[in-house]
Amino acid sequence: MSALIHLDNVTKTYTLGAEEVHALRSITLSINAGEFCAIVGQSGSGKSTMMNVLGCLDVPTSGRYLLNGSDVGTLSDDQLADLRNVEIGFVFQTFQLLPRASALENVELPLVYRGLPARDRRDRAQAALARVGLADRMTHKPNELSGGQRQRVAIARALVTDPSLLLADEPTGNLDSATGEEIIRLFSELHNAGNTIVLVTHAPELAARCPRAVRLMDGRVTDDGPGARVALVPTAKLPSPLTGEGQGGGDVAAFDLGPPTLALPRKGGRGNAA
Amino acid sequence: MLRKLRRAFVELSESSRQAFGALRTHRLRTVLTALGIAVGVATVIAIAAVISGLNSSFTQQVEALGPHSLFISPRPMISRGDWWNYRNRPAVGWGELRALRENATHLALVVPSARTHGSVRRGDEHVDDVEIIGTESEYATASNLRIQQGRFLTDVDTAASRNVVVLGADLGEMLFPSGDALGNRVKIGAQHYEIIGLLERRGAIMGKSLDAIALMPALTFARGFGLHRGLTIAAVAKQDEVNEAEDEIIGILRRYRKLPPEVADNFAVNRQEALLSFYKEMTGGLYAVAFGVGLISLVVGGIGIMNILLVSVKERTREIGVRRALGARRRTILGQFLLEALALSSLGGFFGTALGLFAAQVASWLTPLAARAAPSVVLLGVLFSASVGVIFGAWPAWNAARLLPVEALRYE
Repeated sequence: MSALIHLDNVTKTYTLGAEEVHALRSITLSINAGEFCAIVGQSGSGKSTMMNVLGCLDVPTSGRYLLNGSDVGTLSDDQLADLRNVEIGFVFQTFQLLPRASALENVELPLVYRGLPARDRRDRAQAALARVGLADRMTHKPNELSGGQRQRVAIARALVTDPSLLLADEPTGNLDSATGEEIIRLFSELHNAGNTIVLVTHAPELAARCPRAVRLMDGRVTDDGPGARVALVPTAKLPSPLTGEGQGGGDVAAFDLGPPTLALPRKGGRGNAA
Repeated sequence: MLRKLRRAFVELSESSRQAFGALRTHRLRTVLTALGIAVGVATVIAIAAVISGLNSSFTQQVEALGPHSLFISPRPMISRGDWWNYRNRPAVGWGELRALRENATHLALVVPSARTHGSVRRGDEHVDDVEIIGTESEYATASNLRIQQGRFLTDVDTAASRNVVVLGADLGEMLFPSGDALGNRVKIGAQHYEIIGLLERRGAIMGKSLDAIALMPALTFARGFGLHRGLTIAAVAKQDEVNEAEDEIIGILRRYRKLPPEVADNFAVNRQEALLSFYKEMTGGLYAVAFGVGLISLVVGGIGIMNILLVSVKERTREIGVRRALGARRRTILGQFLLEALALSSLGGFFGTALGLFAAQVASWLTPLAARAAPSVVLLGVLFSASVGVIFGAWPAWNAARLLPVEALRYE
């Protein structure tokens, strides 16, 4: 079976003022259809750029990216838009729902860009909302929904086009742990139903639950394997620079700290690595 | 092809729903921005209505002279700053009248008239600035006058140069409010004249009443006021012979005045068309200025739209990113914001048109200007405001469309 996603020697370089930022450095990676794969890494590891490239929101500076057989680097802006519409369902950390539109209208939106007639859109959007357990919230506006419900709407919006790839960017980042757990369980269910899911996250406990995880560091793939192994291998024994939790060597805190040089300048766990 | 069309249609209807939704969300903002356009459109519509009213009333009045009428006078009715060329021309007199009557073959009617201005009195009542015309019975036909009461001047009146007068509608009413004008006498200049007829109302042209006239036999006029300013001869050409008639008149008068070939005409033959074209020329500049003022206010309104749209694009940068991520193309985003601009300006255009029509109506109540809004003017106003929206919305919409999805999504 050929890979759904194939990155061949992909680099991405930004110019910030006079400085060149190498966000991705010759990454070669394949993800097959039906996989549930996490991409983990700290801020600055290149995972956001990875997410943009995988999502066809951005094109590589060099190298080839084949998504379901199309060479993304050769496509025009319009073709990229169509490709995103057809192949990819996005789930964002901040949900990114349209505030004035109801849950149903939000879920219908990608189908608008596919040119489906109103009745088909409504039927499919209703089915997608029912699938994420929001059959009774269709007419609610985002501000009338809880965070977990909003993220479910966003997932329904991603699912409604029947994409070949679900691309989730920190989908639990703005949710409390119980709600986050619900969302992760929903992703697992979707994976079991045959969806291909790529989950971009900095949280090792999330990556640990994925059958496969790819670790990025400084724009390179440093590890690739079963999620439990990749996520749980401690990289340093220091308190988490992000949360300050785990002082005293708790097991979770040791998961994902990145190189000590990055963590050391921050004192007492205050401040945010972002 | 069909799929593309369907997609375009689906996106368009979604975009227009979004546009109206956005306008509804910011009601005050929408109203204020639309108001800018409304004022501009109202100005243009009101000016256009007044102009078109003026034009039609002028054209009507001039056309009432008849397309076959020619007026012979020493000077052209329209002089364009070169009046001194005409100052020594001889007056047109009875001789010219007789020459035309005896020799013309293309003329159906030749009617003399002499004019002056003066007061018409009845006891202590008087009306000033009345046009006093000495003429003959055929003047009524040549000038399209209709009698409302009594009769017009007859050949007997003229031949006997009787002291009789026919008054315009206004005069009769003002001097004889109880309606007993006929048979009564008025004093014009030093003489008394018996009223034999009252004319039908003719209205006003550019604020000047056409009913403040008093007509009497030409010889009566000559006796009362003299003929030092000579005559104006109105000639009515036979059907479809107006060009031949003009040439003939020129020939007859040159022969009568014994002008050698190298000498230019020392009289003028005026035609209705010349009056109309002069009117248009004279007022064209004025209209251009008035429209310019309206246009400027539309531009100001357009800048308001641009401003609000720039704000709207900024506010919804992340939404634009989301839409792009979900598969919206650049042109879809462009269309969405253009539609918003279009909706704003059309809203302004709609209310502006209503406001402009109302203002024109008020103007025609308060002033002698007759306002008349042609449907084409209303259409023009709406199209105009719509294009203002598109023109001024283009740049913000383009700004929105060219946003990179990645950056739009990241925007805080």
